Amino acid sequence: MTAIARARAPRPDPFLDIDNYDPEADLMVMNLGPQHPSTHGVFRVLLYLDGEIIIKAVPYPGYLHRGVEKLCEKLTYAQITPIVDKNDYVAPMLNEQAVNMAFEKMLGAEVPPRALHMRTLIAEIQRVASHLLWLGTFAMDLGGALGGGTSVFMYCFREREAILDLFEKLTGCRFHYNTHTVGGQRHDIPAGWAAEVHRVLGAISDRIGEYEAMLSHPIFLKRTKGVGVIDAQLALELGLTGPLLRASGVDHDLRRDAPYHIYDQIKDLKVAVESDGDCLARYKVRVAELRESIRISRLLVDNVPEGPICGGRPIKQPGQFKAKAGQVYVGIETPRGELGTYLIAGGGKMGDTPYRLKIRPPSLHALAVVPYVFPGHSVSDAVAILGSLDPIMGEVDR
Amino acid sequence: MTPTEENAVREQAFRRLLRERFGVEGEADAPLPDDGVVIDRAHHLELAKALHKAGWQLYVTCAATHFPPVPAKKPTDATTPECFEVATVLRTVGRGSHTARWRVRLATGESLASLVPVFVGADWQEREQFDLVGVHFEGHPDLRRLMMPEDWEGHPLRRDYAIDTPHAPWR
Repeated sequence: MTAIARARAPRPDPFLDIDNYDPEADLMVMNLGPQHPSTHGVFRVLLYLDGEIIIKAVPYPGYLHRGVEKLCEKLTYAQITPIVDKNDYVAPMLNEQAVNMAFEKMLGAEVPPRALHMRTLIAEIQRVASHLLWLGTFAMDLGGALGGGTSVFMYCFREREAILDLFEKLTGCRFHYNTHTVGGQRHDIPAGWAAEVHRVLGAISDRIGEYEAMLSHPIFLKRTKGVGVIDAQLALELGLTGPLLRASGVDHDLRRDAPYHIYDQIKDLKVAVESDGDCLARYKVRVAELRESIRISRLLVDNVPEGPICGGRPIKQPGQFKAKAGQVYVGIETPRGELGTYLIAGGGKMGDTPYRLKIRPPSLHALAVVPYVFPGHSVSDAVAILGSLDPIMGEVDR
Repeated sequence: MTPTEENAVREQAFRRLLRERFGVEGEADAPLPDDGVVIDRAHHLELAKALHKAGWQLYVTCAATHFPPVPAKKPTDATTPECFEVATVLRTVGRGSHTARWRVRLATGESLASLVPVFVGADWQEREQFDLVGVHFEGHPDLRRLMMPEDWEGHPLRRDYAIDTPHAPWR
């Protein structure tokens, strides 16, 4: 039995006993990370290799643990938004929305229609930016030679830059926006912004085909097709969500299945599903989502309803919001999957801060798949698989 | 059926399951409390298995919380003892996705059955809660710290763990 066949047995055992492994095998132990460009942050995987084939992978997250959940217990509801921006720093808008939706549910705050419309629009534009960053870094992970050196990476960053400029015009910040608040938005759409959105998204939409052409390359197919297959059953059990789950053939998207904001008004939302579950399927799902998000954003930007952008009084003092004791769970669809917020409010004297705030990061579940898919692949494939999972260490470790 | 209607059907099924098999009080179809139902800790694994069989296939999250002892207000009252709560969230996939959530209360030193035999995704989530809150999960195959260094002392997300607790060599 070869190392490949042994490791690709029905479901690799993440707790494989290395001491009693084939005594004649040529074993080697290697650390991938914590500082390695393809780990997308600080993340370490201990790889046990038989020749060049991985037989066991033990991931060690936690290098970026900053105690965000502990910090949130000390901050009032209005102060938490800028902290959670730093969790998933590639899609900070969605982080803000996730916690603020939980706070609104807990506090019973009404959000005006204009703010809901703006949130949907912002979420979709942010999804485009996030998937573009993924596409660029994924092409890099597969080896710079694909698509002409770092070209795809640079082109994708150029497009993302244009979206950051859009957000800068909207909020004044390029990265950590702090634009959502309990009950609505803090920054209204400036004059001429809709035309800018059309210009930027139109240009990106025209160029996606070019990037696909650059990547539809026999080497790209060889590096991605049949590599890192996650079957639907494993994906569900592990709690994979978003593009990873849809690439494994499960038709599940919270925007359509448990609509929030104004997603229930978008009747023709197309959800991309692929059945293969390999790196290529994940690439196809994300590119299809890129197109769909551009289409939705361009639809939404034209008919933003008039009205206030924030319900209730503006925030003047930190302890303005007082919650009764209770527990809520809110989950939204980010570019990486379901970002959940489990909020426990203490009530009484502790009413102005969360008693416990648990963030459910999609990337943590995505990384938990590593011990199940790495075995049976070579180290270079491991890098491709890790890239296709699109983990953001800021939200894994929090 | 619209997503909202499908969600309502699931909600009915969830309520009935809880009332008929897991001793939750109230009429079979009456709404559940907003902050989630509390289940006896002996039923935890059984409920997860039943829900998994009935279609709640996606493991979403679990969140453990620490409630430190509350001193009595009057000398005649008893002190409220320390306790822990573990909340679990599961989801159905596809249209009208429904979230099922429940809580389990644990006294100091009590452990909770691990959900790893049903959902392998519970592995890292339970390790994280064990690491940060210090709840012990029975039957977990590999209960180690996930976020903090292995030689860390204490559990940072406990309410009585001060934010400025000194810790060598990290402070």
